[in-house]
Amino acid sequence: MSAQKGRATVKERAELALNDEFLVKAVKFTTERLRNGKKNASAEHGNWDEWRERGRQIRLHTIAHLDYYLNLFVDNARANGVHVHFADKGEDAVAIAMDIAQRKAAKTVVKSKSMVSEELHLNHALEQIGVEAIETDLGEYIIQLAGEMPSHIVIPAIHKNRYQIADLLSEVAGEKLEADTTVLAGFVRKKLREKFLEADIGMTGCNFAIAETGSMVLFENEGNARMVTTVPKTQITLMGMERIIPSFEDLEVMATLLPRSATGQKLTMYMSAITGPKRTADADGPEEMHIIIVDNGRSLQLGDPEFQELLNCIRCGACLNACPVYRHIGGHAYGSTYSGPIGAVLTPALNKNVAEWDDIANASSLCGACYEACPVKIPLHEMLIYLRRRKVETGNGKAVETAGMKGFAALTGSSAAMKAALAIGKIGQRLVVRGGEIRTKLGPLKGWNSYRVTPSLPRRSFRDRWEKLDREMDANRPQMAPDMKRRMEQIVKERGQGGGGHGGH
Amino acid sequence: MADIKQQAGLAGGEAEHADWLAEMERASRAKQETFMNGIAARLRHPRMTSKPAQPARGAPDFWRTFDWTPEERVERFEANWRSVGGHTARAKDLADAGRFIAERAQELSARIIVRQDQEELASLALESSVPEAEVSVWNADEDVSWKARAAEADIGVVLADQALAYTGTVVVRSASNKGRSVSLLPTVLFILIPVERLGTRLGEALIPMDEGGREALPAGVHFITGPSRSSDIENDLTIGVHGPGVVYAVIIG
Amino acid sequence: MKVSLFITCLGDAIYPRVGEAMVRVLAQYGVSLEFPKTQTCCGQPAFNSGYWQEARASAKTILDAFEDSDFVISPSGSCTGMIHHYPKLFESDPVQLARAERLRDKSYEFTQFLVNVLGVTDVGASFPHKVTYHPSCHGTRLLGVKNEPMALMSNVRGLEFVPLPFAEDCCGFGGTFAVKMADISGAMVSEKVDHVKETEAEVLVGLDMACLMNIAGNLRYRGEQVRVMHLAEVLAEGAGLA
Repeated sequence: MSAQKGRATVKERAELALNDEFLVKAVKFTTERLRNGKKNASAEHGNWDEWRERGRQIRLHTIAHLDYYLNLFVDNARANGVHVHFADKGEDAVAIAMDIAQRKAAKTVVKSKSMVSEELHLNHALEQIGVEAIETDLGEYIIQLAGEMPSHIVIPAIHKNRYQIADLLSEVAGEKLEADTTVLAGFVRKKLREKFLEADIGMTGCNFAIAETGSMVLFENEGNARMVTTVPKTQITLMGMERIIPSFEDLEVMATLLPRSATGQKLTMYMSAITGPKRTADADGPEEMHIIIVDNGRSLQLGDPEFQELLNCIRCGACLNACPVYRHIGGHAYGSTYSGPIGAVLTPALNKNVAEWDDIANASSLCGACYEACPVKIPLHEMLIYLRRRKVETGNGKAVETAGMKGFAALTGSSAAMKAALAIGKIGQRLVVRGGEIRTKLGPLKGWNSYRVTPSLPRRSFRDRWEKLDREMDANRPQMAPDMKRRMEQIVKERGQGGGGHGGH
Repeated sequence: MADIKQQAGLAGGEAEHADWLAEMERASRAKQETFMNGIAARLRHPRMTSKPAQPARGAPDFWRTFDWTPEERVERFEANWRSVGGHTARAKDLADAGRFIAERAQELSARIIVRQDQEELASLALESSVPEAEVSVWNADEDVSWKARAAEADIGVVLADQALAYTGTVVVRSASNKGRSVSLLPTVLFILIPVERLGTRLGEALIPMDEGGREALPAGVHFITGPSRSSDIENDLTIGVHGPGVVYAVIIG
Repeated sequence: MKVSLFITCLGDAIYPRVGEAMVRVLAQYGVSLEFPKTQTCCGQPAFNSGYWQEARASAKTILDAFEDSDFVISPSGSCTGMIHHYPKLFESDPVQLARAERLRDKSYEFTQFLVNVLGVTDVGASFPHKVTYHPSCHGTRLLGVKNEPMALMSNVRGLEFVPLPFAEDCCGFGGTFAVKMADISGAMVSEKVDHVKETEAEVLVGLDMACLMNIAGNLRYRGEQVRVMHLAEVLAEGAGLA
């Protein structure tokens, strides 16, 4: 983690990633597959935009009334026999989890995938008090062995190839394992089976929490989350405070959106709704169950009209798979737990630290692919702009850029100034234009011209040509067809009645 | 003597633990108020204590009337189940299903079979049809470590509470006679689905969970859509990572 | 009926031939475009970089220039898309906000106007070349311009359309992004050009000169001879108007 964060900027980390041929290929291959899977699954299901809108509405409503729904969830979970805890900050959640582990004299904790736990760096804290925390999701287990953090929300070890994985697992096995997926997965199954059976505590994240019944819902494919919630005597669930939906009826919408968006599956192999600890007569399931509700910066988004929707995120990873920047640089270049477009917005938002994480917000061409992919329609591409604006407004803009933008405003604030600048440009470019093109890699064109040539400015701008063109058109223009004219008049008329607004979102 | 002390110590530990939990609970309830008030303040409204009107609840309207015919459900369920690497079979009744499972068990040389404690599964008569295997009935005996038993089992046999064709999903609800481990820990899993329990949409299983309310819910409701799988290594699909890798859905009737 | 041309910076300074093509195609249908000379830049570079105060200064010139227009047509989905952001930009200024909303509602990208307003999908052009098409992000995702260019191209005689692999992927331009994150942007445009080459098209067509300048820049850098054209140019040339 620290090694990755140690490299100062996204730009530097991206440069490393771009030069790692395997990483680039692996990330492209997998994200492409997931992206196509999602496309096919959503097309096959049909009416995708209506489902997305439904998902968005449910999330918007829940977050807008979070005090009601979260409270309802807590009361119901308690009635189910769950011990509920609240953590304002990451370290509070860590302290509660450690307290439980110590009270239980736990030696090992088996964990299923939880982004919140990654966010809290909980494993490290548990190790400090002598508790072995074992990630049991195959991908998470691999990166835990490698001492790294996940580089994708859904596919944590997307950046690793099977030879690297074979080396890591061989070390655990104490013998050379073949770099074959079946062999490697088989080894992990056997190894972790022992761990599940001997573990004192099972720790999970939470995909959704059902307010009306106090249940928590987990989506997974491997069965490790079921193991973690079935075998150990104590269960601890870490839950972001925004994971709530009102009802199981609403879960149908989430279950329709999440797996299709994440991996193109109709449903994950397992979806488990857990309502309290085991009943007295049950022979399996945890005897004691804790849910730690984590704020850690989430509540800062509430009431912020530009960022509240961030809490609608269902952590499907579709924005990562759709993102052309993520595709080229992978997750670690983002330098934080959450990567890709959602990470670029979530990290500074949760930390309320726009200045420190500013360059993450710059690592986007604002193409909007993330928004288009998002199953709950979070406008991440717009949020990135808001982040940039907040940085400028708080006086954290870079001096050179600030000066440049002042100049921009002066130029574009008047057509005369812009015309004058263009004239200077035409003279200035004489120094660098060769054959109608500019290839110099000096000065401001360095980055651009390392990959491209720049067209030169033509002798006469459109502005310069307009009058002649206009005269020519006037001389030959036919009459507009009456139906066209009528249509145009109709559109203008309807606009006045509030019927306007075409296209756009 | 040492034994007695240890037991007393344990009991003392338990009491102490209960005190600690009660203390945590008190702190948590106090914290709950400030936490919720904080949220309300951020949302700039007074604390909401009554249920707000929910304009969009559950699936879109057009979806609620979507239904397949019974034959279509079977066909689609089986196709979905197979598409994710599961196996399907059709049996005309429980006895027929029992014969099918017995044949597979013999092929696999199963030594230990665990089944849920349900009448329908008793009528499979696996005890007599697979004499070479030890057939355990979940939670039939207090002294057995049932999780360990399920973990060493080659085969688990469960009866579906419900199944849904659109996603190819089986629903199993936990109870004292229906262990969560039985559908999870054995290497091979047989799920029996009486055809009349096979519906179309996920909502057909979810909406009744709201209607029955919190108190009617078991500790675990598990929606199973195929064998355990992972694509975490080079996006290469592997089956049977932690849960059962071989999963038969046997539709009965 | 006042139909105005919003030429955009690149359209004015670097690619005047695109605006000319638009004017000629629209003139065929009796559309008399006017060109308010006080227009400057839509303000997108400043807006996207977070300098909204500066963006407002340029946006105001656009609001002023097109105050009396009934329709505002531009050769760029991205710059028209920026106009869709004006209400947000002026959200705390009721007077400008009302103007911004009016301008948004009357602004159209070229093919939107041609197809959805005029109802034209066949300009009678002939263009016997192998063509591929890059749908620019802002035009397709912000404005929803998807079917319009397809309808127009499908009616051009002799035009052999080859779909561009991963067409919807951003070309890597992104305004200041191409300068600030030059290497990431470079990787993106290089991949885009790889895909263009895969199609073996003679001509790459698009609706946004910024993206096309980016892709053409990489094509030339690599010595590729693929011709890069705005759809308006294809239509004008194909209809013998150029």
